[in-house]
Amino acid sequence: MKYLRKLLIVTFVILTVVACGDDEDPDKEKPIIDISIEDAFPTNCDTIYFGETFELKLLFTDNEELGSFSIDIHNNFDHHSHSTEVTECNPGANKEPINPFAFIESFSIPDGLTIYETNQLITIPAGNNDGLYDDGDYHFFIRVTDKAGWSTYKGLSIKMFHKQTAQ
Amino acid sequence: MSKIVVLVACLHFVYTLTLAQTQHTLQGVVVNDREEPLPGASVVLLPVQKGTATDESGRFLFHHLQSGRYIIQISFLGYESLTDTIILKDDLTYHAKMNPLPLNLQEVVVTDHYAETRKKESTLNIEVVNDDYLKQYMGGSLMKSLERLPGISTIDIGSGQSKPVIRGLGFNRVVVVENNIKHEAQQWGADHGLEIDQYAIDNVEVIKGPASLMYGSDAIGGVIDMKSRKVPVNNTIGGTVDLTEKSNNDFLGTSVSLYGRKNWFFANFRATILDYADYKVPPDSVDIYSYRAALYKNNLRNTAGEEHDFHLTVGILQKHFQNRLHISSVNSKSGFFANAHGLEPRNVDTELHDRSSRDVNYPYQKVNHFKVTNTGQYTKERLKVETDLGFQHNFRQEWSQYVNHGYMPAIFPDTLNFDPDLEREFDKYIYSGNLKLTHTWNKEMSLTMGINSEYQDNRIGGRGFIIPAYNLFSIGGYAIAKRTISEKSILQFGLRYDYGHLTTGEYYDWFPSPVIANGDTTMQYLSRAAAIDRTFSNLSWSAGYNYNPGNWSFKANIGKSYRMPIPKELAANGVNYHHFSYEVGDPDLSPEISYQLDAGIEYTSNRLALGTSPFLNYFTNYIYLNPSSEHDRLYGNGNQVFYYTESEVFRYGAEIHAHYKLFKNLQAGIIGEYVYSEQLTGGKKGFTLPFSPPASAIFNIKYQKHQLKFAENVYGSIDYKITAAQNNIVPPEEPTDGYQVVDAALGGDIKPGKQILNLSIQVKNIFDTKYFNHTSYYRLINVPEPGRNVIINLSIPFSVSNNSLRRYGD
Repeated sequence: MKYLRKLLIVTFVILTVVACGDDEDPDKEKPIIDISIEDAFPTNCDTIYFGETFELKLLFTDNEELGSFSIDIHNNFDHHSHSTEVTECNPGANKEPINPFAFIESFSIPDGLTIYETNQLITIPAGNNDGLYDDGDYHFFIRVTDKAGWSTYKGLSIKMFHKQTAQ
Repeated sequence: MSKIVVLVACLHFVYTLTLAQTQHTLQGVVVNDREEPLPGASVVLLPVQKGTATDESGRFLFHHLQSGRYIIQISFLGYESLTDTIILKDDLTYHAKMNPLPLNLQEVVVTDHYAETRKKESTLNIEVVNDDYLKQYMGGSLMKSLERLPGISTIDIGSGQSKPVIRGLGFNRVVVVENNIKHEAQQWGADHGLEIDQYAIDNVEVIKGPASLMYGSDAIGGVIDMKSRKVPVNNTIGGTVDLTEKSNNDFLGTSVSLYGRKNWFFANFRATILDYADYKVPPDSVDIYSYRAALYKNNLRNTAGEEHDFHLTVGILQKHFQNRLHISSVNSKSGFFANAHGLEPRNVDTELHDRSSRDVNYPYQKVNHFKVTNTGQYTKERLKVETDLGFQHNFRQEWSQYVNHGYMPAIFPDTLNFDPDLEREFDKYIYSGNLKLTHTWNKEMSLTMGINSEYQDNRIGGRGFIIPAYNLFSIGGYAIAKRTISEKSILQFGLRYDYGHLTTGEYYDWFPSPVIANGDTTMQYLSRAAAIDRTFSNLSWSAGYNYNPGNWSFKANIGKSYRMPIPKELAANGVNYHHFSYEVGDPDLSPEISYQLDAGIEYTSNRLALGTSPFLNYFTNYIYLNPSSEHDRLYGNGNQVFYYTESEVFRYGAEIHAHYKLFKNLQAGIIGEYVYSEQLTGGKKGFTLPFSPPASAIFNIKYQKHQLKFAENVYGSIDYKITAAQNNIVPPEEPTDGYQVVDAALGGDIKPGKQILNLSIQVKNIFDTKYFNHTSYYRLINVPEPGRNVIINLSIPFSVSNNSLRRYGD
C-alpha cells in the first residue's frame, strides 16, 4: 500500500504541475473567406473573359493573424473535379480539353493583419503558342492560411469565355 | 565471457548447496485416461505463480519449493482441467490423470496462463489476447477488434482497413511483428490498413510504450506482436470453418483452416475470403466542406471491398529443436469514398456508383502482401537459440481517374510507361534476419542477446510523387539481463545499438512546369527529390522492475527509444492531392529520440481486479509534418506548404481497468484511457500532436456461465462507451464532439448432437448513433462512423478421430 500511495502522490504532483502550466491556448480558429462583400469577384457562377484583366475582390479574416493565399484556375470540362459550393452553374456539355487554360499563383498578405481585402489585378491571356484557350466551365480555387497554419478553401464554379463568343 | 559463465556457475553451485536442505522438488507426470503421457500440458503452481509445460514424456518438474500448501492446476485442451491442493513437506512425485472431454477438438494452447505470466514478468505494460477474444469482439479488421483494449485506438479508412495507434502514436511509431519478423509495408500512409488476416491470429501481445530495446527503430510508441503458438494434438487431423456476417456492410466472410500432426511433424493451412459492400452511416448526406453529398440509401459510396488470404505453416517439433515455416499471402482491393478522394470533394457519376453497393469503382486501392518466414528454436539445457528469417513483398496501388492537377497536362501524353489512372504504386521487398540467444544460468539470472537485421528495397510508380524510391539497411544488437531477486521481484536491464544506412533515389516530374526567371517563362521538368545517402546510429536502453507481492503487482520501467527518419520525412517534395498539401521533407533530420517512464499497479483477488498504467513521455525531437502559413506556386501548385520539422514533445497519460464480480456469474467492469500531448517548441508550440485520441471509458456488464442447458461457455456482455470531445487539436484537424455508444455481445458453444458450434453475436452501435471518430481518415470531410452493425460469427470445429488416423498412419 505504501508504494501505491507514494506513486499516486508523485503522479498527482507531476500531473498538476503539467496541467497548470503557464500556457495560453494556441490559436484554434481557421481564417474565413468572405465572398459576400460588395463588389466581390469572382463569386460562384461568375464569368471571366480571356484577354482581359479583372480585379480580385475577396475578404479574408482571421482571429489572430492572416498568412498567405493562392489562386488556382483549372478546367472542369469533365465535371469530375471538386467544388465546395452547393450550387451548380448550368454546366455545359462534357468535352475533351484541347488547349485548356490553367493559372496558379500564390500571394503574400502583409504581416500582422486580421482583415485583408484583395485588390490584385489578374490578367488572363487570350491564348498561348498553341492558339486560343478553350472556352467553358472552369474551377476557381481559393486557399487562405493563417499564421498558425490553419487553412480554408473555397472552390467556385465559373465560366471562361472569349468575349466575341460569349452569348 | 567463459569466465563469467564459470563464475556464475560457481555462485550457482554455492547457492544450491546452501539452500538445498530447506527446499523441495515437485515432479510429476501428466497422463490421459489410458495412462498415455500428455506432452505440452500446462502445469501451474499457485500461489507462487510458477508455470511449466510437460515434456515429451508428459513429465514436469519444479525446483526450490518451500514447504507449504500449493494449488496445482493442470490443463490440456480436449481434457477437463485438473485442480488439486498439495502439501509439500518433502520432495514429491505427482501423478495427474486427465479425463477427456466428450469430443477431442480444437488445438492445444501451450500454456493456459501465458497471458498472466507474460504480464507479471514484463516490466512494460502489455495486453495479451487470444483468438477467443478476437472472435468475441471481432471488428472490420484486426486492429478494430483490438480497439477495445485500454490505450489502443485505430486510424480507420472505411470499414475494412485500420492502422494501430498506441497511446496516441501510430504510423511508423508502432511496430507490428508477426512470428518474430517485423511487418513492413507502407506504414507511413494514412489511407491504408494493416495487411493481416485476423482469422489467422491466435495470440496478440500489445506492448504499450517504447520498446526499441527488443524491436529496434520505430518501436517508439509500442508494439503489436503476433505469434502462432498453437500446436495440434498429436495424431489428429482437424480444422475449423469460420463463417462471418455483418449487417452494416453486408459483409460475408469465410475462413477455413485445416491442421494435422503426426508425432514431430505438424502443418496448418488456412484460406480466407472476405467480401463486403459499401458501409452505411446514420445520415443520408455528408457535408464535405460546404458541399453536400447525398448518400443513396445511407451508403458511403464505393467503400466496398474484398480480401483473399492464404496461410500455410509447416512445423517440426523435436525435443531440443522446433522449427516453423510460415507462408502467407494477403490480398485486398478496397474502394475509397467516391465523393472525396482524400479530402478533395468531387462530383461523381451517381448512376455508376449507386448501381451496385458491392462493386468497387475508381478510386480504389489494391494491396498484395506476400510473406515467408521461418522461425527456429533450439534448446539445450540452459541455452536457447532462436533464429528467424523473413522475406516480404508488399505491392500497393492506388487507382483513380486521371485529373490534371497543377501543371499536369490536360491531355495525358501517350509517351509515358504508366497508366494515366495509376495514381500511386509502391513495390517493396523486405529481407529480415534475427538471431537471439538466451542463457539462463540459474533461476535468478538470465541473459538474452540478439541481432536484428533488415534490408528494404522500395520502388515507386504512378503519376503522383509522394515518397522517393529507396534502399534501407539496418542492423541492431542488444543484450538484456534479467535478475530474479526473490520469488516476488524481478529486475531487468537492457542495452541496444542500432545502425542504419539509407539511400534514396532522385525523382523528376514526368510533366513540365512553367519556371519564371528574369521575366521569361520556360517549361522545365522539376526535380522533386535529390538522392540522399545517410547513416544513422543510436544507443537505446531500458531498465525495469517488477514486484509481485500477493495479490498486488507493481511494475516500473524507464527507457530510451528511437526511430530513424523515414524517406518521406527526409525527401518528400510533392503535392499530396488527397490533403491539398505540398509536403516538403528535411534531409537533415536526426533520429527521433524518446524517453519514457512507465508504471503499472494491479490488484487481483477472486472478486476484484483493478489496475492502472500511467506513463510520462518526452521526445527530444518529434518529427512532424507542420502546416505553415505559406503557399507555393511552382513546386506546390498553389497548395499550402507543409514542412517536416522537429519539436520537443511532452506526453502523459494512463489507462485504468477494473472489474468486480457482483455475483458468481456476473461481473461489472470499467476500462478507461487518457493521453495528453503538447509540443514544447517549434512552429506549433502549445499544440497537441495530430490524431490525438480523446479520453474514453467503457462500462461493461458481463454474464458468464460454464453450462447453460445445451450450451457451454455462455457469455453475454454490454459495453457502454463514453468518449469525450476532442478540442485539443492541431491544423488541419477539426474539433470532434464527444459521443456515447452501446454495444452488446452474446455467444457460447452449442452442441447439437456431437458437433460443437461456437457462436458469437455482436450488435455494435445498437442505437444507430451518428458520431464522429477523431482519428478516422474520413473525419476531416465529416463522414460519421458506421451505423448499427450486427456481426455474427459461427465457428465449426471438426476433427478426424485418433484411431482412424493411427490405423491410417501405421
